[in-house]
Amino acid sequence: MRARHTAAVTLLLMLAPVSACTTGPTLENQEEVTAPPGDSKHLTIGSAGFTESDLLAQMYALLLDRAGYSTEIISVTNREIYEPALENGQIDVVPEYAATFADWLNAKKNGADATPVGSPDLATTMKALRALAAPRGLTVLDPGRAVDQNAFAVTSAYAAEHHLKSLSDLGRSGLPVRLAAGDECVQRPYCAPGLKKTYGIDITGVDPKGVGTTQAKQAVQSGRDQMVLTTTTDATLDDFGLVLLADDKHLQNADYLVPVVNRSRAGSEGVRTALGKLNTVLTTKDLARLNEQVDSWRRLPEDVARTYLRSHGLIPGD
Amino acid sequence: MPDRSVAGPLTDPGPSHPCGGTSPRTGEPDGRPATAPGCNGRVTAPPDDCLARNEWICGAYLSSRRDILWGAVLQHLQLTAVSVLIGLVIAVPLALAARRWRWAAGPVLGVTTILYTVPSLAMFSLLLPVYGLSASLVVAGLVLYSLTLLVRNILAGLRAVPEETRQAARGMGYGPVRLLVAVELPLALPAAMAGLRIATVSAVSLVTIGAIVGYGGLGNLIYSGMNTYFKAQVLTASVLCVVIAVAADLLLLLAQRLLTPWTRRQS
Repeated sequence: MRARHTAAVTLLLMLAPVSACTTGPTLENQEEVTAPPGDSKHLTIGSAGFTESDLLAQMYALLLDRAGYSTEIISVTNREIYEPALENGQIDVVPEYAATFADWLNAKKNGADATPVGSPDLATTMKALRALAAPRGLTVLDPGRAVDQNAFAVTSAYAAEHHLKSLSDLGRSGLPVRLAAGDECVQRPYCAPGLKKTYGIDITGVDPKGVGTTQAKQAVQSGRDQMVLTTTTDATLDDFGLVLLADDKHLQNADYLVPVVNRSRAGSEGVRTALGKLNTVLTTKDLARLNEQVDSWRRLPEDVARTYLRSHGLIPGD
Repeated sequence: MPDRSVAGPLTDPGPSHPCGGTSPRTGEPDGRPATAPGCNGRVTAPPDDCLARNEWICGAYLSSRRDILWGAVLQHLQLTAVSVLIGLVIAVPLALAARRWRWAAGPVLGVTTILYTVPSLAMFSLLLPVYGLSASLVVAGLVLYSLTLLVRNILAGLRAVPEETRQAARGMGYGPVRLLVAVELPLALPAAMAGLRIATVSAVSLVTIGAIVGYGGLGNLIYSGMNTYFKAQVLTASVLCVVIAVAADLLLLLAQRLLTPWTRRQS
């Protein structure tokens, strides 16, 4: 594979005399961006192409439209593609997850083996994230209330029988627990090792059925496994008779939703105010419900976002 | 703008809120923590339509996404047409050069063939720093892919022109340019058109990969539909892709028959 890519790069450079552009703004050793905050009136919002990202991009667009900006949304598939575009101003605003994005930028700067900077504490995470984002010309706006982080669920019958509300309760109960999760769970500090160490839960095994997949939930529903790893904005738990156990000792990273903007194009107070309106309103449960309308009911993200903002008075009605 | 007469009312989370907490928050931006424990944020029963039931064939999908589908088809057609045309403009001189100079044939065929073997995901990622997030990125990738098919077939067509025909033309006083335009290119047309048809059909399918940068025509819909297991969307967009490919192929076949009337009399 690698040799083939190198050959292809060489050929591309031979064919198209554009080598001057190939050292664009995506490389690591770029100059630090020190341009003052700008206020472009036309803004491009990036979506990472999954439902929650689409919904937030639509909400950002509607809020910015309301604040007098003209907006367009571009949907790409992953961070490797939209982050460089955000740095060079092809994209101006993206919805991000604080801890995940901090770790991603950290890995980009310090290599894949760098010590993670995202943590369960929101303030620490935001500080690390802003320190990593600023030199790239990116401004991280304030986080709201919605957080999409890993979470653990059990059946409501199991929870009632053993009086479980939190992961601490489960640890105290001493029950043996087989966990339906991704196979990487065996190693990740937030998963099996953390559950044992932080909560004292007796994890007897990890059933590699994926994170929050239908198969994983069915395994818990049927009693084959006792607990499933999913996320806080998963709205299908009710369908499987599952309830979340509280992460009361804060094992999970603070993956709060934050808007990240290109400072020289969208670093203005106008953008900050417009997007900040969502912070006090949108909760994790709201987000789960909106995800459900798109994922399970297959409504259009744009319609779901508009209806939500209208019902909360953030944009005018018809 | 999508037609919201279908989807709109069904997405309204306002009334009939069985869990309490979230509904009457209009005009009170500082909302309270949303829902009662155990409610898990569900507000209304799922609507009972073919979208919610996730059926493969769904009229409500077509009516609620009509504008989105139409936009995707147009983008798909534009990306395909522009790429193939640019590919053709580049391929003809390359094939002529390879025909004219023996030493050029090896490198031209080698390079275009190697380009063809680059995986499409890698191709678009490699072109990303050059073109940024734009339609030109997808067009550039598709042009590079079309080259090998076009160059090889045009060259095969030119090489198949019988030497006697060429000599006859020269004997009639044809210069090199007139020989090329009036004799060689028309005789190379059937093979060249075969290449063009393959290149076009393969471009129609490769456009979908453009979804990774948001310019994939119907691929955008297929990609997002795969993520959420949205059957109606995946099926509809795939069928439209096939329809575009078949229509383009038939159109080119028709053009070929009109352009080469002499080939029909032979068989």
